[in-house]
Amino acid sequence: MESIIEVQNLRKTYRKRRSKEYVHAVSDISFKVNRGEILGLLGPNGAGKTTTIKMICGLLIPDSGMIRINGIDNKEKRLKALRHISAVLEGNRNLYWRLTVRENLEYFAGNRGMSRKDVIDQVEDLLLKFNLKGKENELVNRLSRGMQQKLAIAVAMLAESDVILLDEPTLGLDVETGYEVREILKAIVRDYNRTIIISSHDMDVIQDICERTVIINQGKIVTDDRVENLLKLFEIRAYTITLGDILNSQQQQLLLQKFPQHDYQQDTYQSILNIELAKSEGIYDLFDVLKLNNTPVEAIDRRTINFEQIFMKIVKGEKQDALAQSS
Amino acid sequence: MRWLNLLKANTKKEYIELKRYLPNTIAMLLTFYIIFVGMFAGIQLIGDPSTQDSNIQYAIVNYIFWFLSFMVINSIGYEIINEAMKGTLEQLSMSPMGMWRIMTVRLISTTFINLVIVIVLLYLSMATAGQWLNIDVITIAPILLLTVISMFGVGFIIAGISIILKQVQAFLQILQFILMALTFIPLSVSPVLAFLPFVQGIDMVREVMIHGAAFNQLQVGDFMILGFNALFYFAIGIGVFLYCERVAMKKGLMAHY
Ligand SMILES: Nc1ncnc2c1ncn2[C@@H]1O[C@H](COP(=O)(O)OP(=O)(O)OP(=O)(O)O)[C@@H](O)[C@H]1O
Ligand SMILES: [Mg+2]
Repeated sequence: MESIIEVQNLRKTYRKRRSKEYVHAVSDISFKVNRGEILGLLGPNGAGKTTTIKMICGLLIPDSGMIRINGIDNKEKRLKALRHISAVLEGNRNLYWRLTVRENLEYFAGNRGMSRKDVIDQVEDLLLKFNLKGKENELVNRLSRGMQQKLAIAVAMLAESDVILLDEPTLGLDVETGYEVREILKAIVRDYNRTIIISSHDMDVIQDICERTVIINQGKIVTDDRVENLLKLFEIRAYTITLGDILNSQQQQLLLQKFPQHDYQQDTYQSILNIELAKSEGIYDLFDVLKLNNTPVEAIDRRTINFEQIFMKIVKGEKQDALAQSS
Repeated sequence: MRWLNLLKANTKKEYIELKRYLPNTIAMLLTFYIIFVGMFAGIQLIGDPSTQDSNIQYAIVNYIFWFLSFMVINSIGYEIINEAMKGTLEQLSMSPMGMWRIMTVRLISTTFINLVIVIVLLYLSMATAGQWLNIDVITIAPILLLTVISMFGVGFIIAGISIILKQVQAFLQILQFILMALTFIPLSVSPVLAFLPFVQGIDMVREVMIHGAAFNQLQVGDFMILGFNALFYFAIGIGVFLYCERVAMKKGLMAHY
């Protein structure tokens, strides 16, 4: 498939203010995004998400590496590359607070060289789709945080760019507005053929909207996979086993040896064992342990792990282990 | 066409903000007018009665030009600092038109809007002083145009510095005195001053407005200096601005937060 964004060996180092220390915000990041794809950029605080996004937007010049947008090198032909891109950056800093909703839409369109007439139909369409109709003559500083965010996304949509980058689009919103913004994003994916890159710490958002996710930590890519694959990877091996008796000390000892990460809780007659198996044959080792004392097994349930737990594991470097052991 | 759309959008924004903050605008004009009246009274009180008329005429022209250069050059600096803090500067920097084009149209629209204000103030000042200057539009227009272009160059330098330095406010306050010096110093002090931004232009305007010079009475050499200055300062201004923009993009300074 044709990739609309190509990022290769990107590096960016910041110099800390008033010191000689350097921060390696991004070290060697490469990925591609296909046309029409919805990519999630996931990572903990300070992972380098914003830095990566700003480099793609041409706001930051990388120390080394290459970025191509629609085949155009954004270092050599920055302005040409920018035609294909628009972005909503972190926080509520993307709009003119002293202008109204409509004035903002028209002003930003003008700044891209479009006339009022060029965008008049799209403005109407976006106002309707984004539920901003009736607020169009309201000053932006009187809007709620959620509405401001929706307007910022509408401004980015109006640019008619192929790619829209959204840095933490639901950060700082309450649950309800966060949900509304998510619905809007889903509608964009459904109704408009745009390529979207969303950064977030919010796994729910990524799981809900994105098809693929690039997870970065400390400036490096930890994994790049389809969201459903990541979910599958961990889902198969997590079990909750309900036992009809407690385990004796020998069993507990063995369990600790074989499954150092397990979680065991017991009361007088029953006990519960939470276990994650590195490979599916691991279940036999478990049965061997249980057989030692003929411990009755009452139930075996496969647990579903949510994306957040997967994310935490990946960031801690467990995915490599899991992959290594399963192959 | 894209240039024109850019210009329209930025002129409209400026006009809206001026109108929406009308009390601010009025207060600013009033301040300007009161200072002028003070100056006028001062010249009448302590000035030499034999040169009083010409002193007042100089004061009017110099003051009007200072106001125009101050409005255009200072406001672009303040605007950039403001937008860097609010975050919209990054959006401007992402425009495929290029930020320098946006800044150019902003300079044009600010100049245009302020020119209207300046003309009103000029007539108000003349009426207050009872001194009617020679407003020869055909002669003044080309001088003004070339002078304004060199003014844009200085505006671009200020804009560039404002992007990379956060504590530029203090400098902007000093700048208004530098501008005052540039607009008040007569060229007769030293001919070299002609190569400073807008000194030559204002000198020629004074020639027309105060001494009633007609177009064909002006020196070709003066026009050449004026044209050279316009090109020189504009080129330097754009160069400095693009350089500063690049530094900001390398160091991540486009947003001051
Ligand atoms: N302008 C800057 N100057 C110096 N250091 C910076 C600058 N911007 C970011 N950093 C540092 O670079 C690292 C990566 O920052 P970045 O903002 O890209 O992370 P992030 O993944 O977006 O984090 P968050 O989730 O907090 O937004 C951090 O350690 C940050 O402190
Ligand atoms: Mg960030």
